[in-house]
Amino acid sequence: MIEAALEGLYQVLTPNSLALMCLGVLLGSLVGFLPGIGGPSTLAIMLPFVMTMKDPYAVIALLVGFDAVGNTASAFTAVLISVPGGSGSQATVLDGYPLAKQGQAMRALSASFFASLVGGLIGPIVLIASLPFLRPMVLSFGSPEFFMLTFWGVTMVGVLSGNVPLKGLLAGILGILIAAVGADDKSGIERFTFDTAYLIEGIDLVLVALGVFAIPECIDLAARRTKVAETQELGEGFWQGARDVFKHWWLTLRASAIGIWVGFLPGLGSSVADWFAYAHAVQTEKHPENFGKGDIRGVIAAESSNNSKEAGDYIPTLAFGIPGGTSTALILTALIAVGINPGPEMLTTQLNLTFAVVWTLTIANIVAVAICLAFIKPISRMCFMPFYSLVPMILVFVFIGAFAANRNNLDLIALLGFSFLGFIMRRHGWPRSPLILGLVLGDKMENYLWLSYGRFGFEWLTRPGVMIIAALVVLSLCYPMLQHWRANKDQTGQP
Amino acid sequence: MNSRMKTEGLLFTLFVGVVMASALWFARDWPVRASIGVLFLGGIGVVLALWQFILDAKRSDANQQRSQFEMPTMAADSQWGNVEIWSWIIGFYLLILLVGFPIAVPLFVLSYSKFYGANWRLGISLSVIAWGFVYGVFEKILHVPWPEPLLFSLFR
Repeated sequence: MIEAALEGLYQVLTPNSLALMCLGVLLGSLVGFLPGIGGPSTLAIMLPFVMTMKDPYAVIALLVGFDAVGNTASAFTAVLISVPGGSGSQATVLDGYPLAKQGQAMRALSASFFASLVGGLIGPIVLIASLPFLRPMVLSFGSPEFFMLTFWGVTMVGVLSGNVPLKGLLAGILGILIAAVGADDKSGIERFTFDTAYLIEGIDLVLVALGVFAIPECIDLAARRTKVAETQELGEGFWQGARDVFKHWWLTLRASAIGIWVGFLPGLGSSVADWFAYAHAVQTEKHPENFGKGDIRGVIAAESSNNSKEAGDYIPTLAFGIPGGTSTALILTALIAVGINPGPEMLTTQLNLTFAVVWTLTIANIVAVAICLAFIKPISRMCFMPFYSLVPMILVFVFIGAFAANRNNLDLIALLGFSFLGFIMRRHGWPRSPLILGLVLGDKMENYLWLSYGRFGFEWLTRPGVMIIAALVVLSLCYPMLQHWRANKDQTGQP
Repeated sequence: MNSRMKTEGLLFTLFVGVVMASALWFARDWPVRASIGVLFLGGIGVVLALWQFILDAKRSDANQQRSQFEMPTMAADSQWGNVEIWSWIIGFYLLILLVGFPIAVPLFVLSYSKFYGANWRLGISLSVIAWGFVYGVFEKILHVPWPEPLLFSLFR
């Protein structure tokens, strides 16, 4: 294991990997502090380029470096203009913006970056610590257990889509059905192709991700015409913010642990981690009445959790090949494209690649926080870019990214179709992440199901691992119903 | 507006249900190997879509549920903003078809930014950056073969 760790570190520190990681960190930070461009959207734009790379370490450096830091820089706009740069900093707004209005923006930003650093470093440590436990578990799994895990992933995705579990499940199933489009490898049957040559190869994940995520965000940015009415003064309090994080070290650690757990559960994204950690802080800290009025603990809880969550995301992604979130679903696609096969091999023969991910997460976080802290004033000024300079550039990148995926004109029409789907889903509050995860997991689910049936007939259903995971599936399906029932009961019980 | 949003939401749920039902219909003639996943999940999907449709129909106009993990959507009063940006998006697509990426990209960036109040310096700078990206990355590094623009093929 130590050899693999050193090999991973060596590969991450090669000039090529370091340069790509820094590029990823810069892009991730840029995307983070520009509202309207989410991490998944940018990853979707990057995929066609990344897939032309041959070196797996280069892909890891660029994409993991990018993914690790998006939430760090997104605090800028959350604190300064009350618009979260990404979904992971929504809860940061609640206390960050009031602090900025009180002239303590510098303190809030500093606390946010130091909390991000702590969360970003704890995450990889837990990822490494989990390897000895994951390894025997993953190696004992066969296709039936993997099928059940993917199935659990989809149900979790749906059920944990917040307050709309049905919509989440439907979006997940829709994603799986989209994954079924094209010629079926095993039977040779053309599914949902309607006798068109274009659909035989299936629908590219890049197109769906660009359409469902990038364009709707862009539409929202354009329709809002985000203009900053008043600029915030940064004020003083840089060191005060750093001290705040260490003063509330126990909260920082707890929030980081929540982030890792949320990341580990398939389907939950950054947008969940910060809310969970924030809610936990409100429930457990003294003087909860101060939250929402400019309490630095609100910023610390949200920011430490959204960064540690990124490492948590990689645990199921690398060990089981089941992405923890939308970003890791897209990264998984890129890894597979360059010959990396997430799953048991990542814990045995390709352990050095797993360590490369861990090192990249660690170093990228340090670099990102250093950049944010060093350039806190100039970056703050850049937050006030008008929408008319962002929207056309995003649209250009999206259209070119869509065309570059297969170099087919019809891809642009498909992009418009999926953009409309994403737009309507966003407009009516349908969670979009389950659709992407369903699309990524769809093929795997079918393959594992058939391998299980082919090898064991129906006996695979009686394997202990399968039964345990089946119980988890049932639990995860029943839990929200129970919650819903309790909420209804409470409501009717009120006078 | 709320009533309109409710109708829109109901129509979308219905659309999802119809997609699931159509998947079942198409899969009925496939061999088991190709159809089992679609039949199993599509069947569940139809039931869930119906359930969601009933829930949406029963809720009042103002009480339609949104995922708490989706960022808040635009205000209802920016309806025109939606039409406007969709027109730009479709316009950009048509421009690409007519004159091709290398010309459409700088033209679109310049016209969009100028239309919404950017000064000439910013508009031209953005256009040059966008064109440089198309030319530098795609033409020179990735050697992407651009499709022949419709307008050029008409005058050839």
